[in-house]
Parts: sequence; C-alpha cells; structure tokens
Amino acid sequence: MRKSFISQNPSVLWFLLALSLFTLGVVMLSEVTGSNVISTSFVKTLGKTLCLCLVAIAMDVVWGYCGILSLGHFAFFGIGGYAIGMWLMYARTEAIVMDSLQAQVIPPTPQEISDAIGNQIFGVVGSSEFPLIWAFADGLFLQLLMVVLVPGVLALVFGWLAFRSRVTGVYLSILTQAMTLALSLYLFQNDSGLRGNNGLSGLQNIPGFEDTPQATISIVFFLASAVALGAGYVFFAWVVSGKMGSVIKGVRDNEARVRFLGYHVESYKLFVFTITAIISGIAGALYYPQAGIINPGEIAPIASIYLAVWVAIGGRGRLYGAVIGAAFVSLLSSWFTGGGAPDVNLGIYTIQWTDWWLVLLGVSFVAVTLFFPKGIGGLFDYLVRKPS
Amino acid sequence: MSMLLEVSGVSVTFDGFRAINNLSINFAEAELRAIIGPNGAGKTTFMDIVTGKTKPDEGKVIWGEKNISLLGLSESQIAMEGIGRKFQKPTVFEDQTVRQNLAMALKNPRGPFAVLLHKKTERNAARIDAIADEIGLTESLTRRAGELSHGQKQWLEIGMLLAQEPRLLLVDEPAAGMTVEEREKTTDILRKAAQTRAVVVVEHDMEFVRRLDCKVTVLHEGAVLAEGSLDHVTSNQTVVDVYLGRGHA
Amino acid sequence: MAPGCTKRFDPSRKPVFMRRFLVAIALFFCALTPVQAEDLQRILQAHAEEVANPSRRSVGVVLDDLVTSGLAQVPGFLENWADKNVWRSPDRLFFLGDVAGDVIEVTDLDSGETRSAPRAGFTQLKPNGGVRRLIGTALVQFQLADPDITRRESAVAAIARRPEAAQLAPLIASIDTETDERLRARKVQLANFLSARFAEAPQDRIDAIQSLAQDTSVEARSVLNQILQTEAGVGAAEPEGNIARLLDPMEAPDAYYAQLVEAGLAPARTGPAVIRAALEAHIDAGTVGGVPLAQLGTDAARERAYAALSKAGAVPPLVTEDTRDYALNTYVFYELYDEPNAEITAAAEAALASVEQRVAFAQAADLALDGLSLASIYFLAAIGLAITFGVMGVINMAHGEFIMMGAYTGYVVQLFVPDYTLSIMIALPLAFAVTFGAGVTMERLVIRHLYHRPLETLLATFGISIALQQLAKNIFGTQARPLTSPDWLDGAWVISDVVQISFIRIAIFVLALLFLALILFVLKRTRLGLEVRAVTQNPGMAASMGINPDRINMLTFGLGSGIAGIAGVAIGLYAKVTSEMGADYIVQSFMTVVVGGVGNVWGTLAGASLIGFLQKGIEWLNPSNTLAAQTYMILFIILFIQFRPKGIVALKGRAAAD
Repeated sequence: MRKSFISQNPSVLWFLLALSLFTLGVVMLSEVTGSNVISTSFVKTLGKTLCLCLVAIAMDVVWGYCGILSLGHFAFFGIGGYAIGMWLMYARTEAIVMDSLQAQVIPPTPQEISDAIGNQIFGVVGSSEFPLIWAFADGLFLQLLMVVLVPGVLALVFGWLAFRSRVTGVYLSILTQAMTLALSLYLFQNDSGLRGNNGLSGLQNIPGFEDTPQATISIVFFLASAVALGAGYVFFAWVVSGKMGSVIKGVRDNEARVRFLGYHVESYKLFVFTITAIISGIAGALYYPQAGIINPGEIAPIASIYLAVWVAIGGRGRLYGAVIGAAFVSLLSSWFTGGGAPDVNLGIYTIQWTDWWLVLLGVSFVAVTLFFPKGIGGLFDYLVRKPS
Repeated sequence: MSMLLEVSGVSVTFDGFRAINNLSINFAEAELRAIIGPNGAGKTTFMDIVTGKTKPDEGKVIWGEKNISLLGLSESQIAMEGIGRKFQKPTVFEDQTVRQNLAMALKNPRGPFAVLLHKKTERNAARIDAIADEIGLTESLTRRAGELSHGQKQWLEIGMLLAQEPRLLLVDEPAAGMTVEEREKTTDILRKAAQTRAVVVVEHDMEFVRRLDCKVTVLHEGAVLAEGSLDHVTSNQTVVDVYLGRGHA
Repeated sequence: MAPGCTKRFDPSRKPVFMRRFLVAIALFFCALTPVQAEDLQRILQAHAEEVANPSRRSVGVVLDDLVTSGLAQVPGFLENWADKNVWRSPDRLFFLGDVAGDVIEVTDLDSGETRSAPRAGFTQLKPNGGVRRLIGTALVQFQLADPDITRRESAVAAIARRPEAAQLAPLIASIDTETDERLRARKVQLANFLSARFAEAPQDRIDAIQSLAQDTSVEARSVLNQILQTEAGVGAAEPEGNIARLLDPMEAPDAYYAQLVEAGLAPARTGPAVIRAALEAHIDAGTVGGVPLAQLGTDAARERAYAALSKAGAVPPLVTEDTRDYALNTYVFYELYDEPNAEITAAAEAALASVEQRVAFAQAADLALDGLSLASIYFLAAIGLAITFGVMGVINMAHGEFIMMGAYTGYVVQLFVPDYTLSIMIALPLAFAVTFGAGVTMERLVIRHLYHRPLETLLATFGISIALQQLAKNIFGTQARPLTSPDWLDGAWVISDVVQISFIRIAIFVLALLFLALILFVLKRTRLGLEVRAVTQNPGMAASMGINPDRINMLTFGLGSGIAGIAGVAIGLYAKVTSEMGADYIVQSFMTVVVGGVGNVWGTLAGASLIGFLQKGIEWLNPSNTLAAQTYMILFIILFIQFRPKGIVALKGRAAAD
C-alpha cells in the first residue's frame, strides 16, 4: 500500500526533469559539440552555479528545515575545495617536477622529488617542507576521503560542542560565524600549510588530462556537478520527506516539545549539521576545480552569509527554493559585477552596476525578508494551489 | 504498594525566590491525580523538575520499579523512561499534519539513524488510527495541525502523549480556553487514560477537577498543603484561606 | 628623563670609585700643566708634522699634549682643525685662515691677531674622517664643561652615542661643576655606563655594574650586553680565558660540525648534493662505481656507489653521521667572554638577570596597559550592540557599519573644520546624532516588523550592512581616509623605556569609562532607563502601565547606534577609516556581548576585558603572528561558551529560561 518516495514527492521528479533538460541543453550548445553558443568559461560559470545550488540545498536543510542558521557552511564548502585542491596541486606539481628531473642523468631519489615538489608548492611562503596535513595529498582516493572526512569531522566536533551546551538561535549563528572567521584567519597565515593568502591555484589543470582541452574538461565537470546536484537533491528530499523530516522540522518549530517526546534533539541537530557539512564539502570539491583557484578569502564569514541570503531569497524550507535562490542571485551577481548590466544614466549621476550592485542586493534582501518571507519559491504556491 | 514516582525533599530556588520548598509527593501506578494551587504555588516548576527541564538544588526524584533517579537524566531520556508532558499552551507542530504529529510521537526507536531509515508499517498506522479515534480527530488526520481549533490542538497534544505510551502523564491545564462540551470530552479522555497509567493533571479550574473525581493535592508556596478527595481538601480551613477564600468554590 | 633616574643617582651618595677618579684626574692635571705652560703654537710646532699630516695613529700624541696643556685656546683650535679652517703659512706656522679670492685672512692661534696675506704659499690642513673623529672625542672633554648648556648636552649625547674609554675621566670631572640638575643626573648615569665598561680598577667596574642592576633602560642593558659579549670557539681542549659556557655539540650536530669544518678541523660533510655531483662527475659507461645509473634513485644505492668511488680514490671518503659524531666528541665547543675578568662577567650576568626580571615586570605592565586599551575599544564597539541585543533581543549585523558611519562623520567634519581639536569636539556629538538617526530609521523601517523573528532580523540587518558598506565605498572610495587627532593627543605617556602608552589610547580608555558611567546612569537613574528595564523584563506588563514599548525600542535602538557612532570616531582616530572597518570589529563585538552575557552592562565590560586581555596575552605569546592570536582567541571563546553558555554575567532563574 505504501507509495514510492518519488510519487509522494512529485516536485523531485519535476526538478530532476528540469535539471536534465538544462544539462542537456548546455552540453548541446557548448563548444564540445561544435555549436559554440555557450563559451567554455560560461560553461564553467554554470557548472560552478550548480555546485552553489548544491551547497544552498544543504544550507536550506540545516536552516530552513532544522532551524539552525549556520554561518559556517560555506567554510565547509571551502574545506572541500582545499582538500581536492591539495591533490590537484600536488599531482600536477609532481608531474612537472618529474618532467624536469627526468632530464638529469642520475634518477632522483624520493627525497629529492619530495623536496622539489615542496619547493614548487611552498616556495611562495618561504618553505619547502610538506606540512603534516598534506600526508594524503599524493593519493587521489585518500584525498577524496578527506573531502568528506574533514568537513564532516569538523562539523561533528563543533556541533557536538555547540549543541550539547544548548547554544541555540542567534547565539549559535554567531558561534558558527566565529568558527568560520577562525578558520579563514588560520588559512590566511603563511604557516598554515596551505600557502597562506596565495591559496591553491592551477586547479583547473587536471593531472593526467593535460592534453584534454578545457572545453571538454569543463563539460565533464559541469556534468559531474549536475549529477551531484541531482543526487544531493534526491537525497535531501528523501531525508526531509520522511519521519526524519518530521522530527527536524519539529526541532525547528518547537525544540522543547520534540525533547519531551523523547527525541534526543542534540543528536538530530548534529546529524543534520554534519551531513549537510559533508555535502557542502563535496560541492566545494566540485566547484574549485572549475574555479581554478581557492584562497582563504573564499571562506571569509561574508561568504557564508551570502549563502544564507541565497536561501532566503529563494525561499526557505523548500529545496527547489534554495536552488532557485542560489542560481538566480549568483548568476545575477556575476552579470552585474561583471559589467554585463548596462549603466543607468540619471542625467546628473550615472549608476554603474559594478558599484551599485551590492547596494541593490542589500536593499532587495531587506525587502525580501520584510515582504516575501517565503522568497521566490513562495511564488510557486500561487501557481500550484493544490488542495491539501 | 510501590510507588511509580517518588518525589522527596525537593527544593529549588530562582534568584532567591524559593519556588519549591522541601516538596514530597508520590504517585502510584494507574492513578488519576489533580494538583491544584494558587498562582506561584510551584505547579509548573514541579513538572519542570520531574521532566528534567529544571534541576533542583536538593532532594530526590525516584522512578519506577528499579528506583532510578531522574535527576541525572536528560529531558529526552526521561521521556523515554515513560513520562509524558503536556504544556500549558497547546504545543503541536502546526506545520505538519495531524498524522505526522502522531507518527512522530508513536513509541518507536528514537535514534536519528533508526528514524532516518524508518519505514511506515501497518501496525503503526493502526495505532495512529486508534489514537485518532480516541481523541476524536479521525476526520482531521490529513489536516495541518495549525488549522485545528484550540480544543482540537489540546486533544492532539494529549493524543501525542498517549502515542508515546507513557506510564506517567503530566498534563498542565488541559481545560484552559475550552468550551463546556470540549471539557467533558477532555475529562473522558483523561479518565480513560488513567485506567492504564498514572495521569497527573495540574488545573486551576475547580469545576474541571470536580468532574475528574480523583485524589487532589493542594500545593502552596512550593510545598504540599493538603491531600485527599476534593471535598476533603476544600473543607480544610488553611486551603480555604490560601486558595478558595478568594471567592471561588 | 623620568624622575626615577635622579633618584637612583643621588649625588649625595656618589659611589666611592668616582671620588677616587676625581682625585686621580686632578693630580694628573696638576702634575702636567706647569711643564707645558706654553702657548699653543709651540705645542703644535713640537708635533708639526703630525699636525700637518695627521693620521689616526699619530694624532693621539698631539691631542694628548693639547688636552693636557689646559690652554683656553685648545677647544677653539680643535674645532677649527676638524672643520678644516687651519692653514699653514709658508714659514711653517699654523693659523686660522679664511680665504677670500686670492687673499687669505689669517688669525694668530694664541693672540687672536688678524692680518691679510696673499693666499699663495698657505696650505690648508685637511684631516681625514678618522682623525676628525678623534679630534671630536678630544673636543667632547672641553664641551662637557662648556658654559653653553646646549653644547654640554650635545657633548653628553655624543658620548652616549659613541662611548669610549677616554671620555670617562673628563666626564667624571665635569660632573661636579655641572649646574643643570637633569644633565648632571644624565652625566652620572653615563659615567656609570662608562666605568662599567672602561674603568681601570676591576672593583670600580663591578661597583658600576651592580648599580646598573636597577636600570631597565635600553642603554643600560646594552652596556651589560657589551660587557658580556662572547665569541664562540672550538678547540682540542678547554681554552685559557674567561669561559662563558661549554656547549654540547649534540644539541645541533650539523651546525656544530659546520663550525668544525670552518675551523679547518674536519672535512666537509658529504651531503646529498655533494654525493650527487660526485657521482655525476664519475659516470663510466652507464655506471658509477659499478652501480648502474638506473639504480641510483635511492640514497642507499648512491652511498654504495660513492663508497666504491672513494675506495678507488676518486673522491674523498664519505663523512657519515658516525664520523661526524666522533669528530664532534673529540673537540670542545665553548663560548669565551671578550672580557677576561671572570668576576666582572659574573657581576654583569647577575646584573643583567636582575635587569631582565625588572624588564619582564615592566613588559607585563605594558601588556596589561595594551590589554586595557584594547578592552576599552571592544567595550565601546560592543556596548551599543549589547544594549540593542540585551534589551530588544535584536541582533544588529549593521552595527559595524554604524561604527564606520561615525568614523566617516568625523572625517567629513575635518574636511570643513580644519582645527583638529574643534573638529573632534564637533564630530563626537555629530556622529552620535547621525548614527542615532540612522538607527531610529532602521528600527522604524525594518526591525520593528521583525520582532520575535531574531534570525530574520539578523539577515535583514545584514542586508543593510552590505548596502551601507558599498554605499560608503561609492561615496568615499576604497582607500583609507585619515581621521587626524589633535596635537595634544599625539605622542605617548612614557613611563620607562619599556612601558609607554599613547595618549589616544588613554583617551579611548577615558571615553570608555565615560560611556560606562553614562549608560549605567541612564539605565539606573533615569525615567528612560526605568522604562527600558521594564520593557526588557515584561513588555506586556510595561505596556499596560502606560509605557509605550514602541517608543522605548526606538530610543534604545537609537542609543545603541549612537554609541556605535561615537565608538567609530574613537576607533577612527587610531586606525584608518575605511568602508570595511566596521566588519573588522563586528565579530569581536558579538563575541564580547556573548562572552559577557546578554542584557548586562557589567557583562559587556567583563566580556570586553576578557577578550581584550586575552588577545594581547596570546599576541604576546606569539608576537610574530596576530592572525594566529585571533584564531586561538576565537577557539577559546567557542570553548568558553561550552562552559558558560549564558556568558560571564549570566541571568539566572525563570527570566533566563528560553
């Protein structure tokens, strides 16, 4: 008698359909098929946007569904990026170093290779030693594990500390923001082992695929991002639609009641916090190879707040809302700041959107909070007025 | 006869104000009890202590056959031990359907992973239907709890407590804001529940307490002032002075 | 100098050694003066060649004779000599000369008579730099007793810059005749420095060194350090001389071995690079030392090949770790004091230890002052936030931008009012007014509609924050704007070489105290404060008693914002005014509020103190890295919240529940 999960949640199907059509469309119009309507760099922008949508869904689950306004999920996103960036940078530098050492008569020792790679990577911060955190950077599999483990463990430890002392609401937001700030300040240091404010660069070059054109690589990553977003969407839709969803929405609406029903609220918060942190990390690991560079500025507290802004504008408490918000605002933002928007001549003053976009965003954000608390996603309620 | 819950010598102070003062009170298995008392007598604080929300400064709270101390347990652990609590204001999850509300309360494994992998079963469905029938919300199972009337919300909350299958039910002012008919129905639900478990009703409304027709404990300034049948306590002069003397009987 | 110095060098208890010196100097002068009681020209003629072509080596005799002659003309002559104003006439006499075209105006050195002569035949004396310096040193002795105080001061400063043994006697001699109290104290101090290093009798030096144990000045420490200068050495056995310490080479074997190599006592280490180069140089038909090239990818194989080469005599033998350690253990590594007298170095070590302890105390005091001023800044930045957060439960992410707004108000005022004192006087109330207005506007337009939705308030105010920040960028540009403090706030209150605090920081501290008092007064003693407290505790009840919560919220928000504006002026005075300055303080301000405990002025004070002192403390532990300091501080705060989730000053009981 039980209906399948998909049939109970038709919006998931619609979303997957829209995502597939979109993906197909982009691939057809890209340089790979020779149609060249969409440039490689725009394919990358779209691929990155999909990753942002994924982290926005995670944010929506933790905030919109569970009521934890985390101002740290973009930090988890960044950690994922750093984790994959370490391997990308290591493997690529290794290839270059091996090439140059090959020319020598005497084959290099492992120590010489490691020194040369270390010199290449850490020369900018005046070091050549590999810090301990790079221990797994030479193996793709282990480092992929790090993409999941590092954000997961960090979220687990931080969440355990925060939730067990019953830090809630605004306090918790500030605490997560403090965590993000601490992390970005740490990464800004030259002796952080991650190249200080230089960050990790050259990530768009995938080791082993040096001869593959960026057009192809960009499409591969775009597809991977689309698959990840689709999988993430289905996963989270499954999580929030069942009894788990009931409990975490209960935690959001009335934590005490859930507690007196016998649920260990802290475990649920920790579960949601950690699982969304992991997904954020995965999204970051897909994003930064497309961006090509990651530096501590990406992790700054403001980034996590923007994430909350996307979700709020898109509409909290509905997964497609987060996707719409992230895609809409981030694309609009790059359109405005990239000089795509035409200047507005007011006679005495010309509004240049590169300068005024943030003002517009800030004001419209206030407006959304005040007048459309359900965000853009709320508009769907008017379109799809289903009898309940 | 062994007691289900023994509270002995409990005191708690808030910023110098003694909310509970050396309180001792016991509840037996399958008992209906009403706790009355004027404002500030410590009724709600008493429930906070039993359910683990407030930790007392001194005293003991002993539970069940194994004589477990409840003081070391968290709210959720106490709930799992079999103590259900209904708040003064109706607190149901307004965003979710009546069925979801009840399903969440059903006695089932409470761990996150068990809940994540939870499968809907015939048995659970049947239990939900039974409880819905008991509280008279069968018609409304698919409605959002937020759409229910005030009285229906109260019943839903009591239904959620019943779904937890507790051995002790603490009910805070269930009749507040209800119509006469609704009160009658509430009385029925509680009396029926008390056949299989202990039900403690904290109430203000004498009519309602009289209708429950059970043993009554009068709290005053954080301690037990009198105990017995309603008639017995209302004939107690001290009780009349502190409480009933205000013109209501 | 600070008054402390005169106290330490009370002339009435002038050390014994100094008196002894004075006597010696006096005798010296008495013994020599009569013999040489002649005129200046005579003395110069006695050393005519050395005067005409002085070298650093030979000029000493001339200077000694000149100085000991005690002639009044000597200082003037020395100055002129150094300034290349002395000429030699064709008849080999020395004159002061002033050239004008072909004519030279010459002045007799002794009589001061002037006459003109044709320039031809006169030669100018051009002492080189080294000689001029020696002349200068000799001159100092005269300048020390010069009637003109500025010359005496510059002479003393010259000694302080370049202390030399020869200056000791004249310096001491000049102390008794010194009339200026401060200069005299300075002379006594310098005399102590000099005798610690240069006095003849060891006991005098030890006495002087011991007197330095009280002196935490950088100068005194450098005197002691100079006495304690050591030279590292290595030898087969312990050397003769004043050994500072013996060193254990095994602590850093490679570094010590390098020392051995440098001393020519051991062959150089064969490092990986050397081995590699040696191997490359001896490739023979695809093998090196019998090892095929392809196998040389490990250190073990390379060492094998190298060993084979060295066996064949092609390369020097491999210096392994064992050889290194053996060599290290054969030799003695030591540090030798430059000063041969062990008693003196021991006294200096003791004095330095005592000085360093005092310096450590002083540094702790300095650190505490730094912490205090940082705490004041955090308090100013956070108190407005604490008021709005505590009273209204509203978190204002735009608080930092109000700080920025206040700072820019100060900047704009200074554009119109050039007098800095006046402009600050105008800027403070104006900043309050501007941000009060901004706060009230924001409360009316936005926050009012979001009460009881704290998370959304947080986000909405964040939207305002980014808009305001960008707006400031559009108006004022991205570069930092100055907010200049008035002259009387420049400089610092110097308590000693170690402890000093800038006046601006003191002013900020005073400002913080003022606001603490003001806020306490408003909250506890005024009608507004009463109403604010009433609304905080029970808005419903307050409303029913005729208090208009709307009005109270508006005023509270305005007050909190207004204080942020004033904090902005204060912060702008010592930091730069940029559009991002608010963001720099906002997280710390939140921390301050959260750590302190919400809804309590004292809590904010406690939070600001904790964070301010903690940050300075961590910076002190790791001075090179302020980023790390902030990181650790935040981690500490996260942990702190674990143990006191409600902050330092927590409200208890039912009021605090939920």
